[in-house]
Amino acid sequence: MKNIITFASVTNAMKARELLRRHNIPSRMIRTPAKLRKGSCGYSLAVGRDFEKATQLIVNHNIPYKGIYADDAR
Amino acid sequence: MIYFDNGATTFPKPASVVRAVNSVMQNTGANPGRSGHRMSLQAAQIMYDCRKNAARLFGLGEPENIIFTQNCTAALNTVIKGVLKRGDHAVISSLEHNAVVRPLEHMKRYGVTYSVADYVEGDDDATLNNFRKAIQANTKLVVCTGASNVFGMRLPVERLAAMCRIYHILFCVDAAQTAGVVPVNMQDSGIDFLCTAGHKGLYGPMGTGILAVNSDIHPDSLMQGGTGSMSMSLQQPETLPDKYESGTPNLPGIAGLNEGIRFVLARGEQKLLNDEIRKAQRLFDGLSHLPGVILYTERPAINTHTPVISFNIQNHDSEEVAALLGDRFNIAVRAGLHCAPLAHRFYHTEDSGTVRAVMSAFTKPVQIEYFISSVNKIIKLLPKKVAIEDKNVLK
Repeated sequence: MKNIITFASVTNAMKARELLRRHNIPSRMIRTPAKLRKGSCGYSLAVGRDFEKATQLIVNHNIPYKGIYADDAR
Repeated sequence: MIYFDNGATTFPKPASVVRAVNSVMQNTGANPGRSGHRMSLQAAQIMYDCRKNAARLFGLGEPENIIFTQNCTAALNTVIKGVLKRGDHAVISSLEHNAVVRPLEHMKRYGVTYSVADYVEGDDDATLNNFRKAIQANTKLVVCTGASNVFGMRLPVERLAAMCRIYHILFCVDAAQTAGVVPVNMQDSGIDFLCTAGHKGLYGPMGTGILAVNSDIHPDSLMQGGTGSMSMSLQQPETLPDKYESGTPNLPGIAGLNEGIRFVLARGEQKLLNDEIRKAQRLFDGLSHLPGVILYTERPAINTHTPVISFNIQNHDSEEVAALLGDRFNIAVRAGLHCAPLAHRFYHTEDSGTVRAVMSAFTKPVQIEYFISSVNKIIKLLPKKVAIEDKNVLK
């Protein structure tokens, strides 16, 4: 499993992906894994490296997210 | 046809718009925002790109504040019915389209009232003053058109927005006739809601519209349903744009609209406006020299008008003139009342209607000269009728 950020809407997921891309952090839109799906939309961002930086960017830019799940936490 | 019916729908469309619609139908025609496969994600990306471009065009920071609707009327209904509750009051201008007036008339059944502020031609101070005088203690919303769809005079929307901020009243612009033609910055001017069609000055396909939101107050949703988000919740999501976008969207239309907006952004709204007003001025000047032609407004100008010319030939119904233009000269115009009874009362054209010609980026100078010479020929063709009023007296 990768590091995953879940969102309340696909528009927010796309906005976050665009933000990360601008900061050269690769991410990928995926369907939200079943066990993380509580109250989120069907889409999440899977992030490889720079996960902490990615989450900070998303928080600082006020992009609404539902949950942040680091790989080692699961 | 030589097409001057651009106030209803612009035609032709940029080639990029046609290509984008075609490409969705052939390549990316999956349901956006619902599935994880590549086609669905590409579809969602098209929607997102269109939101971004529209946000840029209207001076909005966030793409999620662009909501796709079926047309401008649907967007206006969302604001009017979603904001106003029993006991609330609204103010509109005397140039409004039925897309504004009819929802408000309907809301009277639910205890909503509204007042009409008279537009004063050539005097924005007086127009503003009329709006101020119409405001009551329970006024919650001011809705007004950016420009008359019949006559092309613009309302001072930036000044009205500023006034509404002072009185803590929400302000909504019906930008059906101005989006893509008259530059606007919602954040700078404090416009709370902007409603527009996609198929006019934005050069998109029919069946597309936008509600742009620049307010923390979000109207109730008119429709609820599947959004692809928060699916386990039985409640409609409050997140924008999902709150207002239930059901499968018009992806081919939105893909075309995206290219239409890109066309406007690339050309520049101000340049488009300058060019189209110049064309409207040429038409106005040409028609003003013809005997028996009635023009209603002042000569169109860049700061006060959209490129719309409404006219009549003395003692002849507008539909009769439009039919001759179409049948004999292959010219497409709109005639009649243009769904705007209040504006017709303003110029006393409720009976005759008007013939309306509207410029687009694709209107050629040679077409305008042909239009003028065709009207001149029609004047000679038409029988010399007695005045309509006199005829009534004879009865």
